[in-house]
Amino acid sequence: MKQLTHPMEAFLRMDRIPHIWCPGCGIGLTVTAFVEAIKKTDLDLNKLVIVSGIGCTGRVAGYLKLDSFHTTHGRAIPFATGIKLANPELKVVVISGDGDLISIGGNHFIHAARRNINMLVICVNNFIYAMTGGQVAPTTPLTAYTTTSPFGNFDPPANIPQIAESAGAVYVARWTALHIRRLTASIHEALYKPGFSVIEVISPCAQYFSRINRLGDGLDMMKFYHENSEIRHGEPTENLSIDYQKRIIVGKFIDRERPTYIESYKEWRDK
Amino acid sequence: MSKYLILNAFGKALEKSGINKKSVSIVSDVFYPPEAIKPLGIDFFHINRGRSIAFATGLKLGNPQIKVVAFSGDLATLGGNHIIHASRKNMDIIAICINNFIYPGFSQKHSRKKPKFGFSVYSNFERPFNMPHLAKSCGATFVARWTAKHTKHLSDSITKALQTNGFSAIEVLSPGCNYFAGITDNEEKDNLLQYCYEHSQVNNNEDTKNLEINGNGKIIVGEFVEKERPTFLDMYNERLTKVLGDKFEPYGGKSVRD
Amino acid sequence: MKANPKDVRTGVFYIDGDVAAAEGAIAAGCKFLGGYPITPSTEAAEAFARRAPQVGAMFIQMEDELGSISTVMGASAAGKKAMTITSGPGYSLMMETIGLGAMLELPFVIINVQRGGPSTGIPTRAGQSDMMQARWGSHGDYEVIALAPDSPQESFDFAIKAFNLAEKYRVPVMLMADECVGHMTEKVVIPKASEISIVERKWYKGEKDKYLPFGTDKKLVPEMVKAGDGFGLYITALAHSQNGYPVKDILKSTAKRLVDKVRLNAPDIIETREEGLDDAEVVVISYGISSRVAYRAIEQARESGIKVGNIRLITVWPFPDERIAEIAKKVKGFIIPEINYGQIAFEVEKCVHGNSNVVLVPHGGSSVHNPIDILGAIKQVAKEKKRYDGIFEYKTQLEMKVFGNGGKK
Repeated sequence: MKQLTHPMEAFLRMDRIPHIWCPGCGIGLTVTAFVEAIKKTDLDLNKLVIVSGIGCTGRVAGYLKLDSFHTTHGRAIPFATGIKLANPELKVVVISGDGDLISIGGNHFIHAARRNINMLVICVNNFIYAMTGGQVAPTTPLTAYTTTSPFGNFDPPANIPQIAESAGAVYVARWTALHIRRLTASIHEALYKPGFSVIEVISPCAQYFSRINRLGDGLDMMKFYHENSEIRHGEPTENLSIDYQKRIIVGKFIDRERPTYIESYKEWRDK
Repeated sequence: MSKYLILNAFGKALEKSGINKKSVSIVSDVFYPPEAIKPLGIDFFHINRGRSIAFATGLKLGNPQIKVVAFSGDLATLGGNHIIHASRKNMDIIAICINNFIYPGFSQKHSRKKPKFGFSVYSNFERPFNMPHLAKSCGATFVARWTAKHTKHLSDSITKALQTNGFSAIEVLSPGCNYFAGITDNEEKDNLLQYCYEHSQVNNNEDTKNLEINGNGKIIVGEFVEKERPTFLDMYNERLTKVLGDKFEPYGGKSVRD
Repeated sequence: MKANPKDVRTGVFYIDGDVAAAEGAIAAGCKFLGGYPITPSTEAAEAFARRAPQVGAMFIQMEDELGSISTVMGASAAGKKAMTITSGPGYSLMMETIGLGAMLELPFVIINVQRGGPSTGIPTRAGQSDMMQARWGSHGDYEVIALAPDSPQESFDFAIKAFNLAEKYRVPVMLMADECVGHMTEKVVIPKASEISIVERKWYKGEKDKYLPFGTDKKLVPEMVKAGDGFGLYITALAHSQNGYPVKDILKSTAKRLVDKVRLNAPDIIETREEGLDDAEVVVISYGISSRVAYRAIEQARESGIKVGNIRLITVWPFPDERIAEIAKKVKGFIIPEINYGQIAFEVEKCVHGNSNVVLVPHGGSSVHNPIDILGAIKQVAKEKKRYDGIFEYKTQLEMKVFGNGGKK
């Protein structure tokens, strides 16, 4: 009898499956989209490096069968910068969460964007610090409940596409975990784009964010994205902040050209 | 020396704003000697590099009556994270970022913000930060940029910032700033500041996207953003009063304004 | 003075160590927590966040540990009792600012709920491997006080003690709990506010012109003022003299006093719980959760006739070196069980000056010791006739099983 294999088996460390993510989590969908995207490219998989930080999304590095690094909290981007500068032939992808990249890693995020280091950053935004038990994150919408905002969040949330754009990223897009085909296409496009690219993936967190706020489970969140997300390519990033249970604008917002860090360095050195 | 220019402008602003000096504190990671600070009559903390905004946050939350001003030379490098989150939360502090284009004391090395000026020894190939644009996109309520020589404009901006609530970011360009008091001025450093001053153009309310410093055109200075928004403590008190009702006593009360 | 009744949640509770530590801090009068989520300490921050509006305290979750510890410094400079709660990786990030706090003599408390291993390690399991870092983590010469609770009740009591020590001596105080104590749920009795003694900072009450920010009397601890009182403070983290102005000559600065503060006051600060030392042949030295495991082994050893004494370190730093040196002359050996590969054992070995054997019972982490190992080490030390130099590392059952040593010691 023919042995059945899963279409993603070639890309996953099958000895570590089943993974740790909760039912209803959007990280698995992001990994699938990523694998589908790299299947379509002609990139040399031996030269593709995945770097992740700490958190639920940070566990991605442990499941992909590529050179992957599970680094310290917030330092995925500098680690990836080091890899890229040591060997510019490698293609580096950072897959990490909103707390890891924007909170503790915020400084590294804006500096890597400013320098235009050639890497792709996939930021999975579930509006909460899920791995540590559901604390408030810089992306948590106003009035949402979390364990460290037990009376509702009162800090205005960070608008990731706006931060990325003002710091100098060359490709900025946002999709939800529902828009799986468009996400795949975005990742595919960004993998070929030289410079600092950011793709934000809005993901449900069935165990903490939706449960604490009584929003249902993963499927209910997907239905919410279906009814409330709006595709608007090229929308100015100031309009992209996410209010609690309101409309989410998705699409590709920035796609521009700028010399990358290594190109600028070579130009300066040759002068 | 340039940094005293900034402190002088601050002193004048303090007088003009009429704020009770008792309630003003400066937190700085740039060193100022006691002789420069004592005449101002305010509390001064010189702390470790890059954390002025975070220390200022703690000071403000510890005693909400104080108006805190954070001076920093290292703001965008070590302190970059603090700027984006403090402006997002709209902490009621003033951040004065002293941009001297180089890390002090090391004239050969470059820091994050050195533009491609023709006469510098090594031109930096890294693109410098557009500080006002970053501060504005993260939510600052008052954003301005001046050179250290625009003493009157700078002092007016600081006066305005002292009188408004919310996160204010004022970038001050003062290239060739001397960090250690022992080193004497040399003509080139004064020339750098003069160059910046002469090549600057006052354009209030300019769109912050156009404020890059690239050594080719004019350096645009001015006040760019001025909008009020509830501060961190306002949002905190409002939210908790809504949820807890009368049982909750608002944190902080009113700031001292006279 | 006594605690404020509004802050104290009197009663009998069934809570875990993290929550108890937060309650203890609030009872001690802590009005500021600058935190960042890190397993296994998040429960404490969550408990503080819920209680903060009720007691007029402020909780802020900063963007990273560097931000949180800096806000703690600021809040302390503004006159509030301030603390932060973290674990290993966050503790490492905070080191530069701990040095700032030591230099500026700002009182603050850090609760380090230790976890396994260097770097990310094992976030959800116990460890005791930050003990040396508590003492030597930041650059430069400074002294800290470190306490080690072994239960949720002690987490509550020692949180109060930590704040009292911090305010009294103006030093950083580390409450070195661990994941086991932090996540253990036990009965905690919170007494009435009138039964809790707390210490307030020594505030300066003299004339404004005569104030020296770092001027001291023989007690070595300067009186404080807070920002906003109209003193025109000049405080710098550069080496400074008594009036706060920077100096280049170290002898003119406060550097020596920063260490003298704790060293010369050590007899008042050091606290240990001793038992059975009068006729002891061997002594177990332990702290934190390991001491609870050690009780079982000591009980069994005594039943089998070995005269074993017990020293439980309440204050791990400053280390009770004189006491240990004194006891070393009378006993055959010391057994130190700790959940690391040797940290406090080095301190013990330093103090015995070769007068007795020192045996370490190490444990890599992710659980606590098996009492069998501690018992085995006690028996071995009791039987031992020779005097060995250095530290002998006892091979635990687990190690022998894993590395196939055949049981040879």
